[in-house]
Amino acid sequence: MAAYQFKLPDVGEGIHEGEIVKLFVKAGDKVEEFEPFAEIQTDKAVVEIPSPVTGTVKEVKVAEGEIAIVHSVIAVIDAEGEVNDQEEDQAASEEPAKVEEPVKEEKPAAKEESKPAADKKQKVLAMPSTRKLARELGVDIHQVTATGENGRITAEDVRKFAEGGDTKSAEADEVKLLTEKTSPASTAPAPVETGTEERLPLRGIRRTIAKRMVESKHTSAHVTIMDEADATELVAIRKWAKPVAQERNTKLTYLPFITKAVIAALRQFPTLNASIDDEKQEIVIKNYYHIGMATAIDNGLIVPVLRDADRKSIFDLADEIADKASRGREMKLEASELKGGTFTISNIGGYGSQYFTPIINQPEVAILGVGTIKEKPVVYEGEIVARPQLYLSLTVDHRLVDGDVAARFLSQVKRLIESPNLLMMEMR
Amino acid sequence: MVVGDLAQEVDVLVIGAGPGGYVAAARAAQLGRSVTIVDKDELGGVCLNRGCIPSKAIITAAERFTQMKEAEEIGLEVTGEVAVNMKKLMDWKNGVVKKLTGGVGQLMKGNKVEVVTGDVFFNAKDAVRVVSETSSQTYKFQDIIIATGSRPFELKILPFDGKRILSSTEALNLQEVPERLVVVGGGYIGLELGTAYAKLGSKVTILEGTKSLLPGTDDKLTRIVSRKLKKLGVEVITEAMVQGGENKGEEVVVKASIGGEEKEFTADYCLVAVGRKPNTDDIGLENIGVELDERGFIKIDDQCRTSVEHIYAIGDCAGGALLAHKASYEGKVAAEVIAGQKSAIDYQAMPFVIFSDPEIAYTGLTEAQAKEEGYNPVTTRYSFAANGRALSMNQSEGFAQVVADKDSGLLLGVQIVGPEASSLIAEAAFAIEMGALAEDLSLTIHAHPTLPEVIMEAADSLVLRLNK
Repeated sequence: MAAYQFKLPDVGEGIHEGEIVKLFVKAGDKVEEFEPFAEIQTDKAVVEIPSPVTGTVKEVKVAEGEIAIVHSVIAVIDAEGEVNDQEEDQAASEEPAKVEEPVKEEKPAAKEESKPAADKKQKVLAMPSTRKLARELGVDIHQVTATGENGRITAEDVRKFAEGGDTKSAEADEVKLLTEKTSPASTAPAPVETGTEERLPLRGIRRTIAKRMVESKHTSAHVTIMDEADATELVAIRKWAKPVAQERNTKLTYLPFITKAVIAALRQFPTLNASIDDEKQEIVIKNYYHIGMATAIDNGLIVPVLRDADRKSIFDLADEIADKASRGREMKLEASELKGGTFTISNIGGYGSQYFTPIINQPEVAILGVGTIKEKPVVYEGEIVARPQLYLSLTVDHRLVDGDVAARFLSQVKRLIESPNLLMMEMR
Repeated sequence: MVVGDLAQEVDVLVIGAGPGGYVAAARAAQLGRSVTIVDKDELGGVCLNRGCIPSKAIITAAERFTQMKEAEEIGLEVTGEVAVNMKKLMDWKNGVVKKLTGGVGQLMKGNKVEVVTGDVFFNAKDAVRVVSETSSQTYKFQDIIIATGSRPFELKILPFDGKRILSSTEALNLQEVPERLVVVGGGYIGLELGTAYAKLGSKVTILEGTKSLLPGTDDKLTRIVSRKLKKLGVEVITEAMVQGGENKGEEVVVKASIGGEEKEFTADYCLVAVGRKPNTDDIGLENIGVELDERGFIKIDDQCRTSVEHIYAIGDCAGGALLAHKASYEGKVAAEVIAGQKSAIDYQAMPFVIFSDPEIAYTGLTEAQAKEEGYNPVTTRYSFAANGRALSMNQSEGFAQVVADKDSGLLLGVQIVGPEASSLIAEAAFAIEMGALAEDLSLTIHAHPTLPEVIMEAADSLVLRLNK
């Protein structure tokens, strides 16, 4: 038997922490290699982490709701057989085996640490009572920013950190566990008194969304233009195609059509399918079309990506959208399915809204907001008639896309939506 | 299982009633758990019955005796003979022990901790069997704290016989002052008892296997002690490899190889004090999968958890420094963790004390250790010879030294050899835990004339050095 230190594996490119959503095991359980061990919620997906070895779980170092950092030890497993690819329990290998060697009583202080937990850490300048407070509040005191004299961590610092006022942890890529709970006691179903406020920790998806949205607003020069498209023919063609789609178990929405229209327009206006490489001061024009679909889920918003959407049929796109939306809601998407988009479509039509000002999904430079389709009196062939209108809001990054280009792009999308025949002509 | 043997259900079980176990039991009870404590012997463990306390009693008696003999130096003339009444001395020492073990009994009672006597053996992950002379009972527990401590290490070539070849236990119960005493092992136990008996009148020879007394202790501190030993007439032979020994009835002969030469040492008693061994080998730990390290110590994490859930270990049996105060500290941690608190082993300064003459005490880092940890250490020293109180006590040997980080001024460690070093070190440990700078020590008013001024003075010179 060997104590295997199970470190949180790299769950996706650039992801350095994740929230433990679910633990399938507890200390004392037997686990088989490849059996599910935990579910980790990373930036925008829930990833299932399998057990790396077969053995008995000795210790689980994380709890549901905690945030674990990639490469930190999340559990110790008593592995059956030899474990070669990871170091064994430190304590076991620290000193060469000496049988029947008496222990001298006079051990110097520094050498007495044979405990697995006592790795060499720079001394923390904090009073014992402050260190205790940190443990009680579940704060890793090494993460706390000191405001006291000579770099001393004060009790106040620890409290602030626990309340989330100290953001050092968000950037810390050290191998550390933050033991802040996602669901504090205050979320327990207690009668909410009027006039009070509730404080919930900003965690997981919400934290990511908050960060991304502000980042985007700080990065791009957002300009939104709006227009409406006559959806009569689109409604008709979807109506016509629906039974056909049903035969192949496809749930056909308007989105695949709009996606196709967007791609056709993007070919014509490539600067909307691009990004800016700030570091190199270059414009990156993308000759592939990975279309992001902003999807509302229970506790936030995710953007699954339809890769190479230009090479997929409308039926295929419909299937893929349905699949990704449903897996997205179950938080079952892989991190790779949420990355690499070149243009995003955000559809809030289902809720009846018309226009809005979507925020660009970085590092893209444009996003199309799709509103509802609603019958509305319009002037058609000289008469006021009721026709279904589709409301479109296009936000572009003015750093790269000027107003005229944006307007021309939007009017092209509009044209294609209004004349699905034309859309067919544009298809490859 | 015997027919009719019903397991008794308990909440928290503590095995071992030494300074780790009884403190853990009291704390767990104070935190609302229902606690049962088991020990095969008296309450108080080695510390109270066979270690710290009885040895300090004997050391104090020996020291007073020496002072009386040397009283003339300070103008006190003793008319008549100053003599040692070993029987009375031992009675007094036993009285001290009794008071303390009685106190532990009261502590247990006051906290409604049930005390059970017997040997403990694990027969399941949640049950132990306690066997005494009169009964055998299985206890099922929710949580258990193993605090079984350690015992003197026995040399195979020189096994204890309790008559002439003694462990520290018997050496603390001698009914006569030996004329000649050979001490095998120059660690703190051998040194403390060897010094005490030398003061009581024994001709003491200490055989140490390594190059110096008190291996692991800063040799600047040890040097002062060695000098005093010479004055007391104690012969210290280092690099002496003991080959064996024999109880000849009226005396004991110990053979050792010294510099390649075989030598024999004849004495009334031989005290073997070469270290201690954890009491983890005959309580059935192997049956339940509690992991031990290669030297038999129970592996624990920083919350005193062993590899098996609900089983905790503290003190000597869990390794690290074999110190009563470390055991008590861990006892509190384990009890608090069991009670659901987020306690952890989290200290920055472990005080080490040796009741040699003069006493040695140290805490935190030495200069060498500080360098190893990446600090830029500065060390300054102040001698007791310049301290008014030490001189007026006629005990001015030794010094205190302070180690601090040059860049931050942070106090890293304090080492003391001198009178009352064991008490003086408390201030240093506190200062380090509080994250004090050396300057904080120097800016704190120390009463005059007292021994602790030495620490302030050493810190003072360190601050001057830093500001240069």
